[in-house]
Amino acid sequence: MGFAHFWLSGFDQIRSGFWAYVAVGLENGALYAMIAVGYTLVYGVLGLINFAHGEVFMCGGFAAVFLTHGILGAGVANGWESVGLVLSGIVFAGLISAVVATGVEQVAYRPLRRRHAPKLAYLISAIGASYFLQTIAGKEFGYGQNIFPAEVFPAGQTLFYIGKTPIHTIEVICLVVGIIMFLAADRIVRHTRLGRGIRAVAQDSETSSLMGVNIDRTITLTFIIGGSLAGAAGFLYALQNGIIQNSGTELGIYAFTAAVLGGIGNLRGAALGGMMIGLFGSFSVPFAFEGNISWTEIYTFLILVLVLIIRPTGILGEKSGRTA
Amino acid sequence: MSNDLLITVENVTLRFGGVVSLRDVSLEMRRGEILAVIGPNGAGKTSLFNSVTGVYQPQEGKITFSSQKAPPLSVIGKKTHRIARAGVTRTFQASRLFSALTVFENAKIGAEDHSGIGVVGALVKGPRTRRGEKESDRVASEVLKFVGLFPEAHTIASQLSYGARRRLEIARALATDPEVILLDEPAAGTNPSEKLELTTLIRRVRDERGVSVLLIEHDMRLVMALAERLYVLNFGSVIAEGTPEEIRANQDVVDAYLGTTHDETSA
Amino acid sequence: MNLLTRKSLKRLFGTLAFFALAAVMTGGPGGFGVPAYTGVHASYLEPVSYFGLFRTQRWSIFLTLGILAWLIISLYQPHALTIRRRLEPVTALPNRVMQRRTNRWVLIGVVIVIALFLPKFVHEQFWMYLIVEQIGVWILLALGLNVVVGFAGLLDLGFAAFYAIGAYATAWFTGVLPTPAPFHHPIPTLWCIPIAVGLAMIFGILLGIPTLRLRGDYLAIVTLGFALIIDDFVGTQSGLTGGGEGSLTTPTFSMNVGFWHYHWGINPTPYYYLCFIFVVVFLIVFTSLEYSRVGRAWVAIREDEVAAQSIGINPLKYKVSAFAVGAASGGFGGVLTAGLIGNINPTLFQYQVSVNVLILVIFGGMGSIWGVAIGAIIVQFVTSYLDNYQPWGYQLNDLYMYIGALLIIMMIFRPAGILPSRRRQREISGYETEHEGHLDEVLAGDEP
Repeated sequence: MGFAHFWLSGFDQIRSGFWAYVAVGLENGALYAMIAVGYTLVYGVLGLINFAHGEVFMCGGFAAVFLTHGILGAGVANGWESVGLVLSGIVFAGLISAVVATGVEQVAYRPLRRRHAPKLAYLISAIGASYFLQTIAGKEFGYGQNIFPAEVFPAGQTLFYIGKTPIHTIEVICLVVGIIMFLAADRIVRHTRLGRGIRAVAQDSETSSLMGVNIDRTITLTFIIGGSLAGAAGFLYALQNGIIQNSGTELGIYAFTAAVLGGIGNLRGAALGGMMIGLFGSFSVPFAFEGNISWTEIYTFLILVLVLIIRPTGILGEKSGRTA
Repeated sequence: MSNDLLITVENVTLRFGGVVSLRDVSLEMRRGEILAVIGPNGAGKTSLFNSVTGVYQPQEGKITFSSQKAPPLSVIGKKTHRIARAGVTRTFQASRLFSALTVFENAKIGAEDHSGIGVVGALVKGPRTRRGEKESDRVASEVLKFVGLFPEAHTIASQLSYGARRRLEIARALATDPEVILLDEPAAGTNPSEKLELTTLIRRVRDERGVSVLLIEHDMRLVMALAERLYVLNFGSVIAEGTPEEIRANQDVVDAYLGTTHDETSA
Repeated sequence: MNLLTRKSLKRLFGTLAFFALAAVMTGGPGGFGVPAYTGVHASYLEPVSYFGLFRTQRWSIFLTLGILAWLIISLYQPHALTIRRRLEPVTALPNRVMQRRTNRWVLIGVVIVIALFLPKFVHEQFWMYLIVEQIGVWILLALGLNVVVGFAGLLDLGFAAFYAIGAYATAWFTGVLPTPAPFHHPIPTLWCIPIAVGLAMIFGILLGIPTLRLRGDYLAIVTLGFALIIDDFVGTQSGLTGGGEGSLTTPTFSMNVGFWHYHWGINPTPYYYLCFIFVVVFLIVFTSLEYSRVGRAWVAIREDEVAAQSIGINPLKYKVSAFAVGAASGGFGGVLTAGLIGNINPTLFQYQVSVNVLILVIFGGMGSIWGVAIGAIIVQFVTSYLDNYQPWGYQLNDLYMYIGALLIIMMIFRPAGILPSRRRQREISGYETEHEGHLDEVLAGDEP
């Protein structure tokens, strides 16, 4: 198969299945955006990348998987039952992930903050936390074993059609939940007192503490918001793909790419970047050589490198990502 | 000779997002002079320094450094280390020494030739490397003696007193064999006797080594004692230029300082 | 001493949480084809004897330990300062002893003598192999990463890539990959050393030039990404690299100089000496680099890039050179592994390997060459022991759990490592005092 032919056939596939690619892209994009919010918020207040955030996502996925099995068992839910299960899955996953995220903050970051440690120390400690969580999940639930939640709605259920393209329930759920949770987070950060605290610390922690903002509590809150969004994303991701102990690494890098693309530190940028990366990943599937899905990973990763090198501030960002 | 221009800054404007940090700033520095830039906090003095040394890239204007040894260098767009090698070096507001190194190593690292990569040279230690080492050692000892820190050559930099750190920073800058040295608030945080020492030292840098000095300073007494000419910045623009006597008499300057309730004007 | 204050109860909660986690860490695994709660069940409900007294379940033991730990900490805390001050002479002893030049040389001499005669004491082939494969090679890797992380301060999470390049280059040039050797002419393994090391360095430079402009945390994630891609790529390109199966057996080392022939064969002892020579060479090379112009420039860019630039240092160039030097050592480790193990496959170079090397550097002490070497010996010995004997509920895959925990613990309690580099230690304490009362202290919050 010639090279040109390969690319042409890729475009053909996109043309024929355009809406399906859009639907998958938006679904993944919503998930990336939800995870990216955590990266961007923590970056805002602490000025560093929370390397363990991918594992926070993964923990939420596992938590909800077991919850749905516990409630539903082997059956298939339908109707209102499905709605209830999805909602409780999201809430539970969000809760567990928020707990894990604050745990990571308390154990891996707070002692270093007290000691005014240099930045390298935070990175290393975060990597430690990430490996710890990943391995302990592997130990408890099997290394490399993909676990699916119970069937909270019939697998592959189609909700409606755009032209001839079926739009699946899962795609709609991801997008809707993603939008709602993002709007909620955006509202909290923009309009509540706690959110004002987050923004104040992000701008100037010294002054904001003089003005009476409780920095510890603000940072904890940041991890809670970021963690709960990531946890919900973990559950939604598991519904479609199952969850595995190292899901967090891959999704974490995607979401990080999204956060950087949108402009790290900028909440709306995270949403924008997430959607862009989601769509990009979906549209790059027909261009994977020999149908090997690793290529979409490689493409997405190239985007990350290009963004970091060409415009480290991202689309909506202002702070420079480069060394001074 | 004294009218020979060393650094010319022409109509430089520097913005960060929507904030204008320098607005249409023009400035001339002559070879061999001690020139000071003063102004209230946030007037853009350090931004000016950062523009001249290539840390910031102004959006408009032109900055030229006319070396004696090389053709004139257009500074904007050049990397800091290239500008430093051309002969423009600086110190920082809060002293930024390499705290893990000794006093001697701090001076030596300035004297060393950083144009090659030198991994191979460092391993093989051929005659050229050894000659280079010897030369750097000589320069380092010489500048340390010049600033009076030679007896403390083997102390760790972070254990020095505040005034000594400022002197070491000057020594490190001098070790690069510059034509001009930019001092960003050299007297900040020092006590009166250290201030006096620094004043003498800065004058000696020019008189004995022929290195021109561009100075940012808040301490008016030090500025008036040292500088032969001053520029006054306010809100990113030059509002006055002249000898210390002229500046002292300038009503705009007095207003600018009083407007920001700066207490050092009385000094 | 009041045990019921808010702070004390908080501490109780903390210790109990810690021991609950410890129960899971040391407990039985869950996994394939068993109910999801198997792991948790094994961690807490498995029947055991209560310190040999009566039969009970695991949770009670960990609960007891947690409360005991809490009591001990509560007793210790009020006197912490006094005790620590009393212990100061003891804890500072290693540093004080090592500060004297003669002591350092005596120690180095002792280490070298022990190392030279080690094969005489170790009779089991198994342990000899382990010493070469798991310790010798890994010292080289750790020394290489130490240049990148310790000297230049660049967090590289993709170091395994250079290791892989060294090994695969060897496999390629000796003709054991599905792709034929260059010019269809396989060469002896020993000759691959310069080629593989050169390739690793070139790759390090190519990777470094675009990525080393980035800030520290971005660099970490980009290098991690590269490692993942290489992982993917090597694993899937079966036509090129043999995929998951890997290579055929790489020939062992042999040397033919004129009429002198030597074959390393299958006995581990000759490899041990080969490895030993290279470790010594690298120790000398890196030590002289540290105290050279280049080493000083690395310290300068690691501490303050802007200040370094202002005295004429080009940070990018020195970062790239650190990357290349580190890569060389990584590539070198790869060649040795190829000659030693024979079959090269992706599992040897998984991206976790990079973190595994990182822990050796951090445990020993970033930037401290001897610290890293000794740290590598200790950590690799302990992990090999754990992997082979699996004591205390340890399972084969648990390694990264302990490594992760160790990374956090080191960062909290001993960021400069067990044998700190003098430069690094000064830098960390200098940094921490300098930033006291500054932004970070405010960030540290309102609790004492």
